[in-house]
Amino acid sequence: MKASYSRYTILPGSLALFVMVWWAIAVVVDNTREIAGPIATGTAFVRLFTDPPLTKLMLSGLEVTVTSILLGFLLAAIVGIPVGFLMGRYFVVDLFLDPWVNIWYSIPAIAFVPLTMNWTGVSSTSSVVIAFLIAVFSIIINVYSGVRNVSASLVDSGRAYGASQSQLMTKIIFPASLPSVMVGLRLGISRAIEGVIIAEMVFTVVGIGGMLDDAADNLQLALSGALIIVLAIVCLALTGAMKYASRRAVAWKESQAMVRE
Amino acid sequence: MISSRATSFSVRLAIFCGSLGLFILVWEIASIRTGNSLILAGPVSVLQALGGLLQNHLPHGVQGLQGADAAILQTLATIVFGFSLGCIVGIPVGVIMGRWKAAEAVIDPWISAAYSIPIVVLIPMLYFAIGADFLAEVFVTFLLTVFTVILNTHNGVKYVSNSLAEVGRSFGASETQFLEKIVLPAALPDIVSGMRIGMGRAILGAVLAEVLMSQNGLGGMMFIFQDVLNTPYMMAAVFLIALMGVAVLQLPKILEHRLFKWKETESISRGVRT
Repeated sequence: MKASYSRYTILPGSLALFVMVWWAIAVVVDNTREIAGPIATGTAFVRLFTDPPLTKLMLSGLEVTVTSILLGFLLAAIVGIPVGFLMGRYFVVDLFLDPWVNIWYSIPAIAFVPLTMNWTGVSSTSSVVIAFLIAVFSIIINVYSGVRNVSASLVDSGRAYGASQSQLMTKIIFPASLPSVMVGLRLGISRAIEGVIIAEMVFTVVGIGGMLDDAADNLQLALSGALIIVLAIVCLALTGAMKYASRRAVAWKESQAMVRE
Repeated sequence: MISSRATSFSVRLAIFCGSLGLFILVWEIASIRTGNSLILAGPVSVLQALGGLLQNHLPHGVQGLQGADAAILQTLATIVFGFSLGCIVGIPVGVIMGRWKAAEAVIDPWISAAYSIPIVVLIPMLYFAIGADFLAEVFVTFLLTVFTVILNTHNGVKYVSNSLAEVGRSFGASETQFLEKIVLPAALPDIVSGMRIGMGRAILGAVLAEVLMSQNGLGGMMFIFQDVLNTPYMMAAVFLIALMGVAVLQLPKILEHRLFKWKETESISRGVRT
């Protein structure tokens, strides 16, 4: 309780400190072509919501970006979860896929950008492909390690009671590995967000990432800063939603542990 | 089941080589079937381009470019400087956060925020604030590295087991002895895996800074090849960047397992975030 209390008093304080330092730097530099201060950025932020053409532009950019993130993430989950399960359950699959998954997982996101540009052009399709490629391998790795670490005593008792392979999968292995699956999904959405933003900033014409890069190129740094704040709020909402979902999904595990104690 | 899991390294290697051969074969066939080297360059032409790059031969039509070796060296220098700075700042901050509650309360919300928001969005702003020179690239690389290092160090130091801490206390260890003899050795596996993942981030940061800011180095070269529609050279640059990522993230993992056998394997693979 005390920790959360101090957290709520300290956070506004350090936020205020941050804004003051930012403001001081902006005053010292005193060049709107190098840095936009908090007041200019705040004004631009308000303008984003009060200037109808600008609002429309931002919302359409935001729509493209959020759709790309969700689509890439969803595809990665649809592919990654079954592949992770197969790798965890079947040794042959593990033997063949494990090195490849680790190799593709280690490739920096930016390396995928020029290749997808060749195949799907400078478009939101490319952002989806990149988000998928960045997210899918971390989902696979986490699902795989979750399935591998399901305790053998659970599986054995299932077998002893004559569970079929599909029952074993749905009733024992899936629930037992759910915490790792959720960790994978939480990492996956962060990576999908980063992938889409990187792609959009390189493309410069697509989505909110493109818009803020474009705004900076046109020396509208205050607008660019305001867009970063919008994007930050959206990202916090997306990752927060995923965090909430994972807490809900594995709540039973914690409560069970408490009952047992 | 258990014994088959522990298949020897050589069997795994043989299977990997086999599937690598299959992958290259499929890639070559696909590139021949596509019949358009602009869209998909085959492995043979990419390998030739890679050879050209490493021997410092650049394709025609590429002008105003530094040599290939200079570009690769520059990217490596950015990674090394940015990563080192990230560790020099990140490890002490992580240790302080793990040891002192007050520091944790002040710093932790910022680390969490920096984790929920992709740091990369700051690059266009930084471009105007600090320019596009080598130092700016190092700064971007540092920014991408430092939070990963802090987070992992913090976790390692915070969760040093109580029994270890109590032994230290009851034998009357001073704060420096406590830190040096108990906390740091116990947290070392986490710190090292944070550094490993941080180095992966450093590669992303360095290349991204080159693409979005200075347009030189390996990242800049990759997009210049893209602009002049030289797909084999572009893919060779992509390959080098990918290779750096794999080398940095996978090779030290093997080393970590050897070094930290004494610690349970779980925490070794517990890279918090990449």
